[in-house]
Amino acid sequence: MPILEAKNLTYTYSIGSPFEKTAVDHINLQIEQGEFVGIIGHTGSGKSTLMQMMNGLLKPTEGTVLLNGQDIWEKKADRRAVRFQVGLVFQYPEYQLFEETVYKDIAFGPKNMGLDEKEIDRRVRETAEAVGLREELLQKAPYALSGGQKRRVAIAGVMAMEPKVLILDEPTAGLDPKGRTKILTQLREYHKRTGCTVMLVSHSMEDVAKYVSKLLVLSHAQVVCYDTPANVFARGKELETIGLALPQITRVFHGLRARGIDIPEEVYTVKFGAEQLLARLEGREPQC
Amino acid sequence: MKPLIQIDNVRFSYPNEENPAENTEVLKGISLEFEPGELVAVLGHNGSGKSTLAKLMNAVLLPTEGRVTVCGMDTADEEKLFEIRQHVGMVFQNPDNQIVATIVEEDVAFGLENLGVPSDEMRDRVDQALHAVGMYEYREHAPHQLSGGQKQRVAIAGIIAMRPDCIVLDEPTAMLDPQGRKEVMRTIKLLNRDYGITVILITHEMDEAAQCQRVVVIDHGEVRMDAAPEKVFSHVQLMRELGLDVPQPTELVDLLRQAGYDLDPEIMTVEECVDAVAALMTKQSGNV
Amino acid sequence: MLKDITLGQYFPIDSVVHKMDARYKIIITLLFLVMLFWGQHFTSLIAGLLFVILATVCSKIPPKMIIRSIRPIVPILIITGLLNLFWLDGGKLLWQWHFLKISEQGIQTSVFMFVRICLLIAGTSLLTYTTSPIVLTDAIESLLSPLKKLNMPVHELAMMMTIALRFIPTLIEETDKIMAAQKARGADLESGSLMQRAHALVPILIPLFVSAFRRAEELALAMECRCYHGGEGRTRLRQLKSSLRDYVALALMIFMLSAVIIINLIIGG
Repeated sequence: MPILEAKNLTYTYSIGSPFEKTAVDHINLQIEQGEFVGIIGHTGSGKSTLMQMMNGLLKPTEGTVLLNGQDIWEKKADRRAVRFQVGLVFQYPEYQLFEETVYKDIAFGPKNMGLDEKEIDRRVRETAEAVGLREELLQKAPYALSGGQKRRVAIAGVMAMEPKVLILDEPTAGLDPKGRTKILTQLREYHKRTGCTVMLVSHSMEDVAKYVSKLLVLSHAQVVCYDTPANVFARGKELETIGLALPQITRVFHGLRARGIDIPEEVYTVKFGAEQLLARLEGREPQC
Repeated sequence: MKPLIQIDNVRFSYPNEENPAENTEVLKGISLEFEPGELVAVLGHNGSGKSTLAKLMNAVLLPTEGRVTVCGMDTADEEKLFEIRQHVGMVFQNPDNQIVATIVEEDVAFGLENLGVPSDEMRDRVDQALHAVGMYEYREHAPHQLSGGQKQRVAIAGIIAMRPDCIVLDEPTAMLDPQGRKEVMRTIKLLNRDYGITVILITHEMDEAAQCQRVVVIDHGEVRMDAAPEKVFSHVQLMRELGLDVPQPTELVDLLRQAGYDLDPEIMTVEECVDAVAALMTKQSGNV
Repeated sequence: MLKDITLGQYFPIDSVVHKMDARYKIIITLLFLVMLFWGQHFTSLIAGLLFVILATVCSKIPPKMIIRSIRPIVPILIITGLLNLFWLDGGKLLWQWHFLKISEQGIQTSVFMFVRICLLIAGTSLLTYTTSPIVLTDAIESLLSPLKKLNMPVHELAMMMTIALRFIPTLIEETDKIMAAQKARGADLESGSLMQRAHALVPILIPLFVSAFRRAEELALAMECRCYHGGEGRTRLRQLKSSLRDYVALALMIFMLSAVIIINLIIGG
């Protein structure tokens, strides 16, 4: 059974007004437990709306979301409990920090869950470590931290609820390359360690491709494809027609194939690409 | 030719209110010159001092030591303040927080109103500026009806209406989606090419720096490199140490070079890379 | 939609009244108010009604929009009407029950007040329907500019108004976002006692204030970089220009007001 399932999921804004817009259009989707999913699409492709329906913040106009096979909008369902199980980190989450100390802010979610002090303490310390926040930062005011640190505090605040599914809306927006790599590697570690399902919304194919096990491509409120990165990038032309930029490395390999060089098409990391080329040049089998 | 902006051995520290002896020095002796008509990227990770450097260029901040001159005027000369700011305009990261008026064209006029430009001349200059950034059709819109990229273009129009010699853009794309980034980059390249405006682009994105003529790499308040982008990016190892990315084609070429293949380290674009690698493969297969 | 609050009540169509100089519209509206409250005689109300009808026709604002603007104050109208009706003494006593009584004077005053307030709302809404808040701000600044000589911060007030109008939609959007984010962390905003609910607002208000201050700081910097230095020597893109139609409208208003005053004087005398 998939952990999260969208059935015929639809969301329409401002129904009946001249601004009526369908942001998510009859989407069917099954997310398996333990997957690391990258979600790619333009602004306005419906990513954010879809994410907010997945944890019950938005009520679908049509269709349902199933969490562990349970309809989250069923009458007796507890929506607040759903939000604890499907953690959602919004874009620029550092703007929602409000407590006097980092510790208290991370504890906000677990506290709302009604956990006892000891459990809250364990969770705060564990997640702070997971996002690389040193012990002494916990008693500081969030506003005294750097931008990247604040971002990680905010992410820790959602992780501390220990959700089964962690959804992040562009967690690296506005960060420099070092900050981006840091957050993405920490997420990979977190995913490996906890085995929970992670869904990552991103604008950058380059960034996402390296980390995820599945890619969900959205365009105009619909699913274009949901597959492994290799299979998605093999459909390069299609992605370009919906206006998504391919990683440069993928374009290099498409260019080489166009020159009649027999080389795989689904290259999306430089390391893998270099190994392919070197193997070819040295007349051996690639090692990856 | 006399440089447009001359930065002469500049040091800058933010005053530490609690302990004046412990000032954090952000810039540690920077000397740079910017010529009229240049398209320069100042590349550095967050906290490298690049934003501080930007603010020194139009007298928002004054150097603790050293001198900054704009068109021969010392930025420390208070009487020249408005003249300096008219020569060097500034665009900031968050498009929302630099638009003052509730209507696009009124915002573009804001700087001109402050300068006391007569209203019929103002009309012409506002219209020209809006045409230059491709936002003329939106002149009567309210800012909140626009996308991030459009808002940023309005902010740019507000600056160029003042007819500056130079625009300094402090991470203008950090908060935008790929579409908005493209729009802004296209706009500033066009302003540089067609209107001869000097552009100084503060960024941490290597792909934006790659589109400039000159890249200045800043790290820990010092200039580490100052050269054409392909030269700068060819130092793959150093760039990585500085927490910066290089274009994927350059990275690929670097890996092949490390394996002993003779390729031009200054390859930066996808096309160059395809050409070089294809040539290498044909040569190699000819040898076999 | 809440987001479009920037437009206020502005009803953007093309009409003579929309094209009028906002300064004249404000002056005429003020004279209209004077006329409405001039004396206790029905001539002022008839003149007021004529004015509202004329202005509505000229502005092409659908009459139902005018009625809609009156609707929110109907309860107040009814209450004041009843109070006037039952409590006011004077003239012939028509009906009495314990302490409640209806007198001639009572009927007259309550009808007067009712019509007067309706006209007042209708007339002022016409101003806001035909003038965008930003133009209104400009006009107020221009009308108040003589006060600058008395060191009144007229320009600064107008600038504050403009910036407030500019940032209201931004902050509303931001509030939505913060609310959603805190709800995602289990914040309960919809249930509990009044105290609990007030307490639940803390996680929303604090980030909102912090963000508003950050925005203010950045905006101030951006304004400074665009050579903002207060109102001195400032020119404007949008010039308030008066033309024949403004003079005609003002003359008409003055004529009506004078007529009302004269009639009142004659009758009163």
